[in-house]
Amino acid sequence: MTRQVQDAYIVAATRSPVGKAPRGVFKTVRPDDLLAHVLKAVLRQAPGLDPAAVEDVIVGCAMPEAEQGMNVARIGLLLAGLPDSVPGMTINRFCSSGVQAVALAADRIRLGEAEVMIAAGAESMSLIPMGGNKMALNPEVFARNENVAIAYGMGITAEKVAAQWKVSREAQDQFAVESHRRALAATQAGEFGNEITPYTVSEHYPDLATHEVKTRDKQVAVDEGPRPGTTMEGLAKLKPAFAAKGSVTAGNSSQMSDGAGAVLVVSEAALKRFNLTPMGRFLGYAVAGVPPEIMGIGPIKAIPKVLQQVGLRPDDLDWIELNEAFAAQSLAVINDLKLDPAKVNPLGGAIALGHPLGATGAVRTATLMHGLKRRNKKYGMVTMCIGTGMGAAGVFEAL
Amino acid sequence: MPSATPFVVRNVAVLGAGVMGAQIAAQLANADVQPILFELPAREGDPSANVRKAIEGLKKLDPSPISSGARADFIRAANYDQHLELLRECDVVIEAISERMDWKKALYEKVAPHLAEHAIFASNTSGLSINELSRAMPESLRHRFCGVHFFNPPRYMHLVELIPCQATEPAILDRLETFLVTNLGKGVIRAKDTPNFIANRVGVFSMLATMHHCKEFGLGFDLVDALTGPLIGRPKSATFRTADVVGLDTLDHVVKTMADTLPNDPWYRFYASPDWLKGLIETGALGQKTKRGIYQKVGKEIQVLDLQQKNYRPSAGEADDKVKEILKNRNVAERFAALRSNADPQAQFLWACYRDVFHYCAVHLAEIADNARDVDLAIRWGFGWNQGPFEIWQAAGWQTVAGWIAEDIAAGKTMVKAALPGWVTESGRAGVHAPQGSFAPATKNYAARSNLPVYKRQPFPDGLLGESRSYGQTVFETDAVRLWHMGDEVAVLSFKSKMHTIGDDVLEGTQRAIEEAERGFRGLVIWQTEPPFSVGANLQRAQDRMKSNEKPSALGSMLKKFKKEAQSVVLKAARQLNVADALMAGKLAQVEEVVVAFQQTTQALKYAMVPTVAAVDGMAFGGGCEFIMHSARAVATLESYIGLVEVGVGLLPAAGGCKEFALRAARETRGGNHLALIQSAFQTIAMAQVGKSAEQAKELGYLRPCDRIVMNRFELLHVAKAEAIALAEAGYRPPLKAADIPVVGRTGIGHLQMILANMKEGSFISDHDHFIASRVARVLCGGDVEPGSLVDEDWLLELERQTFMELIATEKTQARIEHMLKTGKPLRN
Repeated sequence: MTRQVQDAYIVAATRSPVGKAPRGVFKTVRPDDLLAHVLKAVLRQAPGLDPAAVEDVIVGCAMPEAEQGMNVARIGLLLAGLPDSVPGMTINRFCSSGVQAVALAADRIRLGEAEVMIAAGAESMSLIPMGGNKMALNPEVFARNENVAIAYGMGITAEKVAAQWKVSREAQDQFAVESHRRALAATQAGEFGNEITPYTVSEHYPDLATHEVKTRDKQVAVDEGPRPGTTMEGLAKLKPAFAAKGSVTAGNSSQMSDGAGAVLVVSEAALKRFNLTPMGRFLGYAVAGVPPEIMGIGPIKAIPKVLQQVGLRPDDLDWIELNEAFAAQSLAVINDLKLDPAKVNPLGGAIALGHPLGATGAVRTATLMHGLKRRNKKYGMVTMCIGTGMGAAGVFEAL
Repeated sequence: MPSATPFVVRNVAVLGAGVMGAQIAAQLANADVQPILFELPAREGDPSANVRKAIEGLKKLDPSPISSGARADFIRAANYDQHLELLRECDVVIEAISERMDWKKALYEKVAPHLAEHAIFASNTSGLSINELSRAMPESLRHRFCGVHFFNPPRYMHLVELIPCQATEPAILDRLETFLVTNLGKGVIRAKDTPNFIANRVGVFSMLATMHHCKEFGLGFDLVDALTGPLIGRPKSATFRTADVVGLDTLDHVVKTMADTLPNDPWYRFYASPDWLKGLIETGALGQKTKRGIYQKVGKEIQVLDLQQKNYRPSAGEADDKVKEILKNRNVAERFAALRSNADPQAQFLWACYRDVFHYCAVHLAEIADNARDVDLAIRWGFGWNQGPFEIWQAAGWQTVAGWIAEDIAAGKTMVKAALPGWVTESGRAGVHAPQGSFAPATKNYAARSNLPVYKRQPFPDGLLGESRSYGQTVFETDAVRLWHMGDEVAVLSFKSKMHTIGDDVLEGTQRAIEEAERGFRGLVIWQTEPPFSVGANLQRAQDRMKSNEKPSALGSMLKKFKKEAQSVVLKAARQLNVADALMAGKLAQVEEVVVAFQQTTQALKYAMVPTVAAVDGMAFGGGCEFIMHSARAVATLESYIGLVEVGVGLLPAAGGCKEFALRAARETRGGNHLALIQSAFQTIAMAQVGKSAEQAKELGYLRPCDRIVMNRFELLHVAKAEAIALAEAGYRPPLKAADIPVVGRTGIGHLQMILANMKEGSFISDHDHFIASRVARVLCGGDVEPGSLVDEDWLLELERQTFMELIATEKTQARIEHMLKTGKPLRN
């Protein structure tokens, strides 16, 4: 049970479409621009709110450097036109950064020290590669065998999970096919319509014939990742990407992506003061550590922990946004915790929709809050595994 | 003032983006000549879609027609609807569309009004008459028209036949020849306007004769290929595999041209494709391009068509040991006598093939070529034979062989009964090639080589048997090297070792050569009289299993074999260094001494007081590559294959190769990402990457941006000497010894270890691979020091040396060396 003085309410949640990296629709778009875009959009969804009332903007980012460095939270909020009295901070817990930002924002309110907070996430994997522009691991990692897994790429850890939890290549591919199927169906049915704020990419390019700088604008309104025609046969042709004789391929792994999401979190007093309608309530959040070499099973530790915290049973959950870092670890988590596959990622997951690292938690919180409301469900969760061996899970209640 | 107006070629248009057109455009791009490639407009969408598709296709071909992936993007795409005006900017226009007279005529009419006033227009036809084609040109343009016949694949085949029409102005041919030789690196043969010109006329006849005798002697196609390939100094693809590569339909077309145009030829009745070949074409089996022809690949098995079984069977042809023994005889006269007298059908078959080709060449020489040299060089350059037919005949004993042919004609054994021409059996004739030139039937005299000024750039052109050749005056000569000069100010060092491997004697000779050059010359060029430049550290003098007579063949899989062969040489080198023995005896110090000598030699090249220029052609691996990296400049032919391949045998480059990469990365960083450059060097060395062109060698960092690429290997020495003189003229000083080389140190090691940990965990590399690569990482990063630490070259060299010794002392590296020596194949342990 949490010891809070007041509830934290979600009153608005939105996200950009998610583009493919490194050659997708947002390949040239700066992550701070994407962030400013969702910050403006989330404030537009709460028209009664005075932006100056925002007490802090917490932004998750997994590789906070270069175009998304220098405390991208502060830069993004200023670019978004928020008053300079509004502070901002960038936080990093790799893939859970976005939902971690929501939890931190909610906690400020639950503790009674803030009334209005924005939590967000932003990531451009097109501009800043996984691992950052300059990876420089401590050589001490290799001095002793016990730490060498810190150096493992995520794909290797997925292979280890697949081996240990006995997840076959076929099961992984099947899971990937289903992810694409669900994502395409949801996109076609317009299920993401409310949560996505379309983004207009404005690209400046040299016209070599006229020697002029020209601009082309393209509005992006849907996710780029879902691939029609994804079949078992097609996926079976892909070679293992991380181990010579492995089962994890580019087709049954999450996509590299660009995107941003933002969530407006307020207290009950703020609801009244600014005449806001709550979408839901933040209930709790937990993180847990696991061995780095099987980082994918992180949710197996984090989910029971948070459920115990908020006093719910697994069956109480109506909707679980489980980040599909890899089909192998998703299936290990689902099977180990006996989660209902129908409730996990009903609109598809990261294998189809993409995984913009630090943004994903905020992006999927938007998906969950709108989804619960649209489908009239009550309890939902956003959960994911985290590099170097962690798991995170946040629980929400729709109102 | 220059004596003649220079011929400036800015742009070259290639009309037709088929197999030949696109690849000719690629070679132009390789040569920094701007190509504009034309094709018919697409019926819908982007009008240039057809030509763009052809350009994209260049990137997928193997062997690659482009010297690096980016080269294809330099080719400008054009179509006849929109871009004819671009022709006005072209100094040369090469037409390479389908072999249809009506299509060509229509095209000529269309483009003629758009040609620049000075432009040369040339057709790449292989079969049509140049004079007839010229009549499709407006009369005012005919003096600028000729044939320019490239061979497939044009990047790799040295030959270009240049064929004038009656109206062609001689100066036009001279200009074009000069451009083709220096800028495109080709070997030009002036041919007459006779069907199929020279190379295809003789080369295709040779194939027809081989097919004829194959049937007569009842030999399988695979056996014939075993007999008519490297065993007799021809490409591995031999006869039938070559037909598959060329395309059976193309071959049939060339044969048909002969049938259509040579009704009075004594061999006329043989100008027909065999029925089985026509049958294959009818079923769509056209050879390599349709994945089925005379051969096909089923899974990993190569199968060959068997006429008796009327089906494919596993290819297994192997020459008889007896015949192999005959062919091994270095005495050509004895070899031919044995072939002719041996009753073995394989020997008889070979004699018959040779005899009828000799017969054919003798009868047709006057008609198809100016002189015998042109026939021999055309066959060498166009068909990849080590020697042309006349050369072989001459080597075998001209009069003896002529007598045998005459006997066989009389006995009705030859394909036709045509008598040998009188000049063949003139008294006193010992051959067709002599020091003063080659026999020219028209003048009944010996024609000297071309005196076109471009050939002054070739002090040593491709030599023919019978020509005299002298490599200048000797400064000093040992068993391993020779230092010489041509009466000018540049000393030339040539290795005498097989495959130009570098042993302690070559190291010693090189150091002495540097001292001599400093004493009496303005520069030192390292140049070999024939490729390769050097396959690396040391060699086995007694026995070299590598076939030195195999030239880099466009048709073969030579490129793929390079790495393996190089590794094998490195291993042999290790043996030559008595590594195994030394290890057994615990005499590691002996090995270390040689490593030290190697390092001293490469450093001496770098710090010589005169410019040292490595003139590179062909393979340059391991220690050979390190010689290049330490020379003041490298001048490399485009067809140079350069790489540090030591890790394949469990070692690392220890003659300064790692050191130079670390040094160059530090110099090139300029505030950028130092570690990224080290990572790239690490991948190059740890994966033993070989540049498959000098251009790629630049991309990989073996060659520097200042190093030069030349297109024609016979001009290599000329350019290398000019480079040495230019450096000397600029007041050459060796670089100062740097003591401020920043290294990435521990941070870099950690980063590279991370990459390795993942490769090992993913089972992409073995434990020993991991061990070797982690040692390469340590050397490139400058050791276990803080990032940014400043070191000097000696620090890096010592790291190299210590690490080399650490690796060679491991059981697994020794096992790799032993395995390579025993099997010739790399061991993954």
